Amino acid sequence: MTNNLDYQIIILGGGQSAAHAATTIRQYDSESSIAIVTNESYLPYERPPLSKKFLLNEVEIDEFLFFNEEHYKNLKIDILKNEEIKNVNFEKNLIESNNNKISYNKLLIATGCKNRTLNLENVDQKDLFYLRDINESTKIKNKFNSSENILIIGGGFIGLEIASSAKQLGKNVNVVELADNLMGRIVPKEISTIVRKKHEENGVDIHLRTNITSIKKNTDNYTIQLSNNASVICNMIIVGIGALPNVEIFDNTALKIDNGIITNQYNKTSIENVFAAGDVSNFYHPLYEENIRLESWKHAQNHGVSAGKNIVGQKTEYSEVPWMWSDQYNLNLQLTGRCDEYDSLVKRGKDENDGIIYFFMKNNQVFGACGVGIGGKIAKDIRIAGILSDKKIKVAESDLSDSSIKLNKLLKNI
Amino acid sequence: MNSEEKKWIEVGASDQIEVEDLIRFDHEGKTYCVYHLEDGYYATDGICTHEAVHLEEGLVMDDEIECPMHQGIFNIKTGKAMGPPVCIDLKTYQVKVEDNKIFIEI
Ligand SMILES: Cc1cc2nc3c(=O)[nH]c(=O)nc-3n(C[C@H](O)[C@H](O)[C@H](O)COP(=O)(O)OP(=O)(O)OC[C@H]3O[C@@H](n4cnc5c(N)ncnc54)[C@H](O)[C@@H]3O)c2cc1C
Ligand code: FES
Repeated sequence: MTNNLDYQIIILGGGQSAAHAATTIRQYDSESSIAIVTNESYLPYERPPLSKKFLLNEVEIDEFLFFNEEHYKNLKIDILKNEEIKNVNFEKNLIESNNNKISYNKLLIATGCKNRTLNLENVDQKDLFYLRDINESTKIKNKFNSSENILIIGGGFIGLEIASSAKQLGKNVNVVELADNLMGRIVPKEISTIVRKKHEENGVDIHLRTNITSIKKNTDNYTIQLSNNASVICNMIIVGIGALPNVEIFDNTALKIDNGIITNQYNKTSIENVFAAGDVSNFYHPLYEENIRLESWKHAQNHGVSAGKNIVGQKTEYSEVPWMWSDQYNLNLQLTGRCDEYDSLVKRGKDENDGIIYFFMKNNQVFGACGVGIGGKIAKDIRIAGILSDKKIKVAESDLSDSSIKLNKLLKNI
Repeated sequence: MNSEEKKWIEVGASDQIEVEDLIRFDHEGKTYCVYHLEDGYYATDGICTHEAVHLEEGLVMDDEIECPMHQGIFNIKTGKAMGPPVCIDLKTYQVKVEDNKIFIEI
């Protein structure tokens, strides 16, 4: 039997954007009934530890929840767990799971992303490992207990973070990547080379420009032939080849979708009273004057906060400069702004010990920056690069490349 | 700690911190940040209240310090956590400058 429930504000999805949106709504609106509806069985939690500290057994889930149970109780935010929404009816303001029909006045969609899947000859989909949520991270950890040899398909951020963690747990690790460089096209070659060398120094075998030519399943492992003629024996295969926005449930609805949910700078979608935030939203960015979709922690947080404000009628334009990081071994890599379009590249710092940053320049302005360093070395300068790009401050390339000049001085160049 | 036990501790020369910058100061197993802002010197706990990262590599802008790890922001003068991901305020300490030397009351 299905139950009918009714909330004034529903947040569909129980991740980072959801947690921050709900909390923000309550700061302005003490009256409206609010529910977060999620298919997960946990309170909203951080995903970055899933490939890092949680995989390394250094933290437990209650240490990386955004907020504890009491927080939601005090704010009268209901969290409906284990509710997989199967159907959304925008005409009737209704979302449906197997058990419940839930109606809303306002809906925020924050369903995030799902992993791209890979079909491999001779391997069942259920025998492949992916990483997006805590159950998958736990599954990987459990399998690590009986696996010495790990093959990771995909040399992007998540694949490499898993490689770093697996190596720190003493595993033999191979990473297979089709492209010429690790971490995609936007990370400058020198930086991806530093990261590759770090992995190799730690004993990870990185296979670039390589794909899998055949897989043979043995009793308790696989024999894998690679296109570079290497042959690898492994006990488990982990796939990290990117993600796609979670939007299938809106197929056949009027909601406008194109690489995620089309959203304006006020978190509004093409349907009245329906908003979107986080990884699932392809939003109009006023600074770049086009739509972009991001998969990053800081964006998920602040886009959720922005959605919360816009839902309660505190009209807030979202124009945050993108920022993300990745941790591998003692290396911290950060990206800010746009690194896909530039006239020239300017380098600062000589190596990872010093911290090394590439600035992506356009019309004497910083458009984006990407850096790598030990610990927090590059954090401040990357942050300044973000502010320089946000404020469109003109800078001399010679100032950026001169490590003896403190970059915060350039913020005064307005 | 009750207030009678508080002491003024010398941090060092006041000209060693540029305006809009900070230094790390360690004392008796605790760690602090001492800041030089346009209108004087200030001090806070050194460790971010979010995930125990040191703020010494953080960015000082106007009256705020931004954590290098996740960009959580605190007001330097009041210690107030300005928004997610930080929600617990940072402890602040009294600072005085005498004979070009900085002291903090801890
Ligand atoms: C392993 C991993 C490591 C990461 N590390 C970093 C990092 O180091 N730095 C960085 O900047 N970013 C990192 N990220 C990215 C960051 O975590 C995400 O950008 C962020 O979590 C996105 O938040 P969100 O709220 O949009 O989506 P999510 O946090 O993904 O939340 C979406 C929620 O919606 C639920 N949902 C989806 N469909 C339905 C449905 N039909 N019914 C009910 N519920 C549904 C999901 O189960 C989930 O709870 C990492 C991500 C992962 C997976
Ligand atoms: S550790 Fe400072 S903001 Fe997270």
